[in-house]
Amino acid sequence: MSILVVAEQRDGKLNRASLETIAAAQQLGAEIVVAVCGVNVGGVAAELAAVQVKEVVTVEHAALEAYSPDGFTAALQDAIGQLSPAYVLLPHTYQTRDFAPKLAARMDRAILTDVTAVKMGGAEPAFVRPMFQGKLSAEVVPVGAAPHFVTFQIGAFRADQAATGAAAAPVRALAVTVEASAIRQKSEPPFQQAKQAVDLSQAERIVSVGRGIKEQTNIQIAENLAKAIGAEIAASRPICDAGWLPMERQVGSSGQTVAPKLYLALGISGAIQHLVGMKGANTIVAINKDPDAPIFEVADYGIVGDLFEIVPAIIEAVKS
Amino acid sequence: MKIAVCIKQVPTREWQPRLDDSKTWIREGDASFEMNEPDAYALEEALRLKEKHSGEVVVCSAGPARVAQVIREALARGADRAIHVEDDALASADAFTTSAALAAAMNDEKFDLVLTGLQSDDQGFAQVGVIMAEKLGVPHATIIMEVQADAGTLRVKKELEGGWFQWVSMPLPAVLTIQSGINQLRYATLKGIMAAKKKEIRKAAALSGLSPRQRIVALSTPEKGKKTQIIGGSPAEAAKELVRKLRDEARVL
Amino acid sequence: MTILLFWLLFLGFVGAFAAQVARRVQIIAAGENNFSIDNLPFRVTRFVRDVLLQVRTIRERPGVGLMHAFVFWGFVAFGGYTLTEFLHGLGIVDLTHTAVFHAYKAALVPFASAVLLGILVLLVRRAFLRPIALGTHLSVESIVIALFIATLMITFLLTYVFGEGTGAAAVNWWVHMLVILAFMALIPASKHFHLVLSPITVFLKSPELGNLANLDFEKEEVGLEAVKDLKGKMRLDAFTCVECGRCQVNCPAWGAGKALNPKAIVLQTQEALLAGANDRKLGEIYSEEVLWQCTPCGAWETPCPVGIEPLPILIGSRRGLVSNGDAPEYLGAMYNHLERRSNIWGLGYDQRTKFVQATGLETFDPTKHDVLVWLGCAGSFDADFQKSLRSLFDILRARSVKFGVLSKEKCTGDPAKRTGNEYMFQELANANIEDLKAAGPKTIVTSCPHCVKTIGNDYRKFGYEVNIVHSSVFVEELTRDLRGATAVEGVTFHDPCYLGRYAGKVDEPRHLLTRFGADIKEPERNRDNPYCCGAGGGLLFADKEEEPGSRISDVRFKQLQATGANTVVTACPFCSIMLKGAQASAGPGGEATQFVDLMTFVNGKLQALDGARQS
Repeated sequence: MSILVVAEQRDGKLNRASLETIAAAQQLGAEIVVAVCGVNVGGVAAELAAVQVKEVVTVEHAALEAYSPDGFTAALQDAIGQLSPAYVLLPHTYQTRDFAPKLAARMDRAILTDVTAVKMGGAEPAFVRPMFQGKLSAEVVPVGAAPHFVTFQIGAFRADQAATGAAAAPVRALAVTVEASAIRQKSEPPFQQAKQAVDLSQAERIVSVGRGIKEQTNIQIAENLAKAIGAEIAASRPICDAGWLPMERQVGSSGQTVAPKLYLALGISGAIQHLVGMKGANTIVAINKDPDAPIFEVADYGIVGDLFEIVPAIIEAVKS
Repeated sequence: MKIAVCIKQVPTREWQPRLDDSKTWIREGDASFEMNEPDAYALEEALRLKEKHSGEVVVCSAGPARVAQVIREALARGADRAIHVEDDALASADAFTTSAALAAAMNDEKFDLVLTGLQSDDQGFAQVGVIMAEKLGVPHATIIMEVQADAGTLRVKKELEGGWFQWVSMPLPAVLTIQSGINQLRYATLKGIMAAKKKEIRKAAALSGLSPRQRIVALSTPEKGKKTQIIGGSPAEAAKELVRKLRDEARVL
Repeated sequence: MTILLFWLLFLGFVGAFAAQVARRVQIIAAGENNFSIDNLPFRVTRFVRDVLLQVRTIRERPGVGLMHAFVFWGFVAFGGYTLTEFLHGLGIVDLTHTAVFHAYKAALVPFASAVLLGILVLLVRRAFLRPIALGTHLSVESIVIALFIATLMITFLLTYVFGEGTGAAAVNWWVHMLVILAFMALIPASKHFHLVLSPITVFLKSPELGNLANLDFEKEEVGLEAVKDLKGKMRLDAFTCVECGRCQVNCPAWGAGKALNPKAIVLQTQEALLAGANDRKLGEIYSEEVLWQCTPCGAWETPCPVGIEPLPILIGSRRGLVSNGDAPEYLGAMYNHLERRSNIWGLGYDQRTKFVQATGLETFDPTKHDVLVWLGCAGSFDADFQKSLRSLFDILRARSVKFGVLSKEKCTGDPAKRTGNEYMFQELANANIEDLKAAGPKTIVTSCPHCVKTIGNDYRKFGYEVNIVHSSVFVEELTRDLRGATAVEGVTFHDPCYLGRYAGKVDEPRHLLTRFGADIKEPERNRDNPYCCGAGGGLLFADKEEEPGSRISDVRFKQLQATGANTVVTACPFCSIMLKGAQASAGPGGEATQFVDLMTFVNGKLQALDGARQS
């Protein structure tokens, strides 16, 4: 039985989630072939070859220079036809979500998405995935002929869990046929949002300040922390009212509603008008002098203390 | 423009699911239902496109009779008519079955554009939109932030990870899955609610003989997550411990 | 000859009067009939009190009100005199030489003097003092009318000066009668039409403050969209306005510098009706922006001396906008929250469930429990106000009151109703009423005054009647036998609009406070004329940044600070949230103020008492 892991790269840079998928694949205990699509992916292939896999194949074609679901579906269908794996594993990235279901549907095969664990020990491997917004955990098995497609939740496995190989695995090119004219999507180059526009709703990490920051000059401390962890700065209403930060950075019922992965509330009491703007955050950390502050009701982690001492300590800890 | 919006009725987000006796599905009896929130954004986008380009918005949903609730909510917000693929089995169907059911009912309509939400709040596959595009034989794009439609072509802004975006063009007809939060959802107005009562809901029979592509072996409740952890110690100690937890436990650093 | 002349003049002026009145009556009658005379005893009592005795007019502005009362009483007293002189002038009968008439005239002299004094004071006030309530432009018409009235009284008194039959007497008589005729012709088109209308308007005013009729969806009612939709009582109100401006200066939105001016709303209605602009959108006439600045606090309705009810006009207009999808964005979000989560915050129901479990609350059972505690959505989802609710539970338990809560509670629908989303309101109301009926409580206690009004008054229109009391009222009764700590603490109390004004409960919270040693320093607006915190009508969620003038909550916070008390006691979750927000925005100047909910204050004192007793 062999497993095909489809790695993801962009502009010659490997998406490390691919290593997480290899770690998952290694749990299935069969030989692993890693494929990477695109053009000029030699460097990525070499990086992948360091992991303990049977081989790495490059699927290169001019039509794959820019990612497109049509192109990748055609190329991978061809590759899968040649490699005949029992499982096709991918990381559950935005790109995978864009083409993997199409590929599975094209081949009329099962696809299990957003899987967090593999359960061995039964007649066949089963896969664990969250349902109902994480309130339930489901054990599912694919139905129908091989190959079975499985995508893995980002972060469910650790990239460093992927065992490295004793020696580099062989890398070879796999020729595929892709009809360039059949690719219906034309994409423009990717870009990042202009620096002026503040869109907190898309930020992955946010450091937010409240009245506890006491003075405008102290906001620097929060900005240092934001820089250290790659976060955007935000604030509760009184800070914006006072003009210490612009209105676009206000989080709350009369400001922005945000749902980042991490929300660090510094000196914020947790008045309900603020809470409704950030309760959707995945992980909430609260730092406040007042142990009774309502913010601690919704925080995942809390530190009761002086933020002027704690925040610099956090920056230290992050840097080490 | 003739636009279809596929919406799903799901149990409300705060409902605590209870398992049925076989432990392979939920006990639906005591659940309350609502429109899948990501689909609400797709509906809003469709209504805005109709306001801009004129045309028709048809809302499509697959599920048991109770699904009529969200269909009417969509009609009350401005959709013109609806297609309801009715079958009790569709309540717990996998993405393959749902996509096939919807695509079959929608095929004859020749929609210019089909919009769906990113994924559903219950099963959360994030597959139906993409599979439907394959079944309808049209191009698609996912996680869309902005839609520009112009004389038969589509130019859409995709969200990529890490704060990156990309514009993609493709010909119509096409399928798009819409990112949540891209617009302000309108509320159901009184006039809309009154008008909805007179709008057409066409019933379509579910396809028979479809076999699912996955099977739930067991459902369980994971251990309670959400309790506040207060981290004590000196500022330096607490800070170190917090960073450790954020790295290893929460995995957000 | 003179009689013929008089007849001609009489018919001419009275004809002009009648034509103008007829036109206005026609306009009023063209509106949908929403007149009611329910609760007759109350109406009669109010009529005697506010019209005949002028109680409201005097109470709101004692000096000015008394002067007006003089003019009014004089006007009424002179009725017989005017009638007699007209009968005389028209040649119908001459009673002017009878003994009765002479006695009557003599009795009128003090009245005439009072009227003269009154009208001169009012004239000076209007022309020279120029209070803001009377507007920025000097009303020439009002000056003319004032001079007419003065002339009438002077010419009356002059009849004692000029000898009978003299030329001067005749001229005097003609001046008197012509002024009356001219006055009559001027009345309908001026604010003096209230002479005719206001007794009617006051009588027809609803006994309940903020009485908003349900929309009938079977009849496809959507609210007021255009001028033609204005109903009968609303049109009557528009023509009754005396332009005194009491509503304007009492309005907190106006007081905070916003564009909303209650007097302008009423007068704009009148103007639109007279112009016959039946299809003009109300949103245009009042300007939509202004319509969303109101926090239905009721401040503009209580001081009105002539029975105008502006709220149905404003909320009706909101309904027209909302039904067409023209609600402001922040309200749209709130409506979606109410639809999906049945609370205004859009928070998951598990927040409330967690709270219920953590505080050990039982599901209400009429066989076990004395009262049902209604948590309300503003407070039960807010960690801050939950502390106040816990205090209430402690108090009830300490005084051995057995209570339970509903297992399922939706928002009462108050924010939907006051912002014009009738559909959402009725959905929530119907669901709640079903649950309440099933639970069957005899008494409901709640800490949210908005819930008191909505469940106590608005739900009655659905046929649901229940005794619902605010926690301050209930706890006041519960603790009547107690005497508090000896230590006296300086506090100020912020009367919630929906408790002080709408429910009229102003003494109970004060008894509670003083019973437990509080020394209450009253703010400038208090008791049944409080100053809104600014949260009502969905404004809790409004983006204030774009609005001119300071926020209502900022103004109120300053008023509370001005009392000198460092502790502000509140009795409503909205007030608590709003004023704390104002404190946060006030920067270092606001830091000294402590907010405490009334229940938390009382509970603290009770526990200290128990502690002292035990030790």
